[in-house]
Amino acid sequence: MTVRTRLTLWYAGIMFVSLLAMGGLSYYKFVQEPRNHVLRTANVSSDLIVEDENEDFSQTLKILFWCGLPPAFLALGGGWWLIRKSFAPVAALTQAVERINESNLNAQLSRSGNGDELDRLTEVFNAMTARLDSSFQRIREFTLHASHELKTPLTILHGEIETELHAEKLPPAQREKFASQLDEIQRLTKIVDGLTLLTKADAGQIELKFAALALDEIVNDVFADAQILAKPASLSVTLAACEKISISGDRHRLRQLLLNLADNAVKYNQPGGTVGFCLHRAGADAELKITNTGKSIPPETLPRVFERFYRGDAAHNSATDGCGLGLSIAEWIVRAHHGDIRIASTENLTTVTIRLPLASGKII
Amino acid sequence: MRILVIEDEKKTASFIRKALQAEGFAVDVCGNGEDALAAVAATPFDALLLDIMLPGRDGLGVLSQLRERGNKIPVLLLSARGEVNERVAGLNAGADDYLPKPFVIAELVARVRALVRRGGETKSTVLRLANLALDTVTHEAQRGENKIELTVREYRLLEFLLRNPNRICGRMSIIEKVWDYDFDPGTNLVDVYMRRLREKIDDGFEAKLLHTVRGIGYVLKEAA
Repeated sequence: MTVRTRLTLWYAGIMFVSLLAMGGLSYYKFVQEPRNHVLRTANVSSDLIVEDENEDFSQTLKILFWCGLPPAFLALGGGWWLIRKSFAPVAALTQAVERINESNLNAQLSRSGNGDELDRLTEVFNAMTARLDSSFQRIREFTLHASHELKTPLTILHGEIETELHAEKLPPAQREKFASQLDEIQRLTKIVDGLTLLTKADAGQIELKFAALALDEIVNDVFADAQILAKPASLSVTLAACEKISISGDRHRLRQLLLNLADNAVKYNQPGGTVGFCLHRAGADAELKITNTGKSIPPETLPRVFERFYRGDAAHNSATDGCGLGLSIAEWIVRAHHGDIRIASTENLTTVTIRLPLASGKII
Repeated sequence: MRILVIEDEKKTASFIRKALQAEGFAVDVCGNGEDALAAVAATPFDALLLDIMLPGRDGLGVLSQLRERGNKIPVLLLSARGEVNERVAGLNAGADDYLPKPFVIAELVARVRALVRRGGETKSTVLRLANLALDTVTHEAQRGENKIELTVREYRLLEFLLRNPNRICGRMSIIEKVWDYDFDPGTNLVDVYMRRLREKIDDGFEAKLLHTVRGIGYVLKEAA
């Protein structure tokens, strides 16, 4: 039962009781009291009086009922209307608060400015989101600073080890050790770069260069790269369809996105498996499906694969050379293009589906 | 060739200096923007290596001050931030090249070389190394008597390597110049292409030309 319904019923109830009270008092004041007065002054038969009294009482009840019912209904309807009116700002506030999420914390709810309770509540809400916003801001800045600060020591480490590697008379075992350290430093660098990218994206600090481009050309390019990537694992790569589709997007980011997904499809595949591409129009969107025949992803981990640093079992078993941020970055690129990315996995077939809005003539 | 390195981080400055000296450059180092401006005014350097994050006047400030004075010295910007926007800002401010940290020294050296020889590149249309030849007009490659079929990407890769013979080419410059990506795609695409290219140019020959420098990149050279 909503607060509004509850209050309306209470209101109607109170109205009804007060009507009864009013009726009772009136009956006493206008019928009973004058009668007692008459009794005291005149000498009338008590039988007559009792009969008269009963009639008066039922008469009063009847009047009370027929006159009381319409006001009671009126109270019910009026109360409903009144409470609805007073709760309208609360409903508006609820809707506005519902729209708040991590990305628009800096937006303030509009206030009526009349200083009533609800205006005060809105003010409190605004203050709360402002505090949340500044906390989020601090976390972002921290991550950004951290990844920035990590770059200097990484540069020094890389530089010094690389200098060591250039020494002519380095024993092979030493050389191998240094080279392996370089590999790890480069992995760390990738993680830091990925983290910087995502943190900047969260803070809305990355501008994409939107331009009209042929998505089919990019898909064809990545298809060619995927064939090369798939060769060592002897996977077959297929391009089921590649319709000519033009969209508005950032060429570099889209290539990064597709290459990243193609790389995953190769990495998490099984020997002799298949990587499939399929690009076609679907309503107002371009739809690209990239499939791989790798081990299926368990349904319970499926919603988590876009999380940062999340690694499913598939990743633990095979290559772990990625930075754990690939799919998070992919998701960001798709979202930044106002698109949608989904991943589905059935027995030995994992499909990543990307939908990007078709170019509508204007550059977004 | 004399290079001025403007970098306040002493260890970084130190290995940059060592690497460039090993390549035969004379190297001066200074730690802040004001000193750099004074040094450039006093000495004719051939190129500047300029870190963006400096105490006091930052790298971009130094750069615009130089360009305002009409100094056209080649400048390679170094930055720990390394985002595309900053790269664009740097190049707009008059930098000739930009390298994000952390970088591979081989990469840095290759870029400095490219800076100082700019304009002085070979004009020949056929690039050669040992018995490998690549015609940049017809896109035909040949090793000894064997004609080599190349895809477009393989051609660009081989051309890039042949234009930098005997020098280590870092993965990042390969990705930038051959794939035209300004980000690290995070795949082993380069390595796989290199393997294919190696099959095409080295298989069946005693003297291998394409060598992997583990952790750094690739080099096309005649075996020592």
